[in-house]
Amino acid sequence: MSQALVELLREKHPDAVLSSHSHRGDEVVVVKREALLALCQFLKNDPETDMKLLSEIAGVDLLTYQTESTGGGALSSTEVPAYQAQRQEAVEPRFYVAYNLYSVTKKHRLRLHVQLRSDDLKLPSVSSVWRTADWWERYNFDMFGFIFEGHPKLTRLLLYPEFQGHPLRKDYPVRKRQPLVAEQDFPDLIRGPGPGPGGAGVPMSQTHVGRKNVDPNTYD
Amino acid sequence: MVRADEENDLSDNPYRLPIVHGEPRPEGNVPESGRGGEENNVPVMLTRRDEAISFFESKLSATLGWARKNSIFQYPFVTACCGMEYMSAMSGRYDIARFGAEFPRFSPRQADLLMIVGTINIKQSPVLKRVYEQMCEPKWVMAFGVCASSGGFYDNYATVQGADRIIPVDVYVPGCPPRPEQVLDGLKILQDKIQSQRHKLSTMERSVDSGEQKKKSFLGKLLSR
Repeated sequence: MSQALVELLREKHPDAVLSSHSHRGDEVVVVKREALLALCQFLKNDPETDMKLLSEIAGVDLLTYQTESTGGGALSSTEVPAYQAQRQEAVEPRFYVAYNLYSVTKKHRLRLHVQLRSDDLKLPSVSSVWRTADWWERYNFDMFGFIFEGHPKLTRLLLYPEFQGHPLRKDYPVRKRQPLVAEQDFPDLIRGPGPGPGGAGVPMSQTHVGRKNVDPNTYD
Repeated sequence: MVRADEENDLSDNPYRLPIVHGEPRPEGNVPESGRGGEENNVPVMLTRRDEAISFFESKLSATLGWARKNSIFQYPFVTACCGMEYMSAMSGRYDIARFGAEFPRFSPRQADLLMIVGTINIKQSPVLKRVYEQMCEPKWVMAFGVCASSGGFYDNYATVQGADRIIPVDVYVPGCPPRPEQVLDGLKILQDKIQSQRHKLSTMERSVDSGEQKKKSFLGKLLSR
């Protein structure tokens, strides 16, 4: 049924669809960034598709992760240690945004992917089509730093405004902390003495027993 | 100095870490490094009057400790799922009221004990700090559950790795979430601690926190006339 949906999309918008595949039973359509807004309006308002529900907008950072489409194995681990990531080749386009759509009346699903190169993170906002996209796009801006053009108020959704960087990117240091309140000294056998990560410039990686001289700006 | 509640010592429990009873500590949750400062240990020759005063001080301090440990008003700073176990500990089956801690006061100004129930994330830490600062002396803090104690498994960009990085903590109750029995045990440990502290109201020495020199307490004023 969803396959028919992809065929319909290819028929109505032949220029917008770059490719399509099926991932574990879910139809995925990779679409052009410029055509996203028109495509979303079509998918929501057309009586045959009737995608009234946008269940999620998710961001994906590949960094060095080789997928089937980029020439790697599908089963390779997503955990990339720092020393490997520095050696491995970066994947381009590095990011993609996934729109998970559902039709309550027709009971079918479709996923749209928009690929983004790391030097150009702009894409059109669909908050004018689905109201729920407002917060989903703010969430993605918060975690990945995608710029949704045309969004009414693109600010951080979950994190505080003082936060630097985007934590769900794969190159965000795992143990980097950005505290709002100055941390105080505490006697602690496990975590070591003194202020914690970010408190007085001592990252948690250095307060761990047996782990010294780790650069806080690399991920460990 | 003899502790008043030595007969109530719970040291028969093999699982409990011992509380070190040396010199009585100042009341409240002053951080460990600032406790029992050397400035209080001035060598003096005691007169009979001083001995009498110190006898009264110790007795009054023990009485105050007894009164305070059995009437703990708590401020529950509930942020996460530990709140369910907190409710359980509060309600009929486990009944924290047996230990005198039955009143949750939802104003920090009326509370003695700040219970940090659940994960503290970085965005929330200024709020926690302010709530703590709004509480009147003497005050104590309990970290309820592993998230409040050490961050738990939230070892990530958003979470404070233990509430003791923000404010001093007296009692850590482990568990994810802790059983109500653990909470009651933690409360009893805190009661032991409160009993063994030297309460400011009963001593002639200066206030530990305010930093004002030569400020005499109630008893000091009474006896120095």
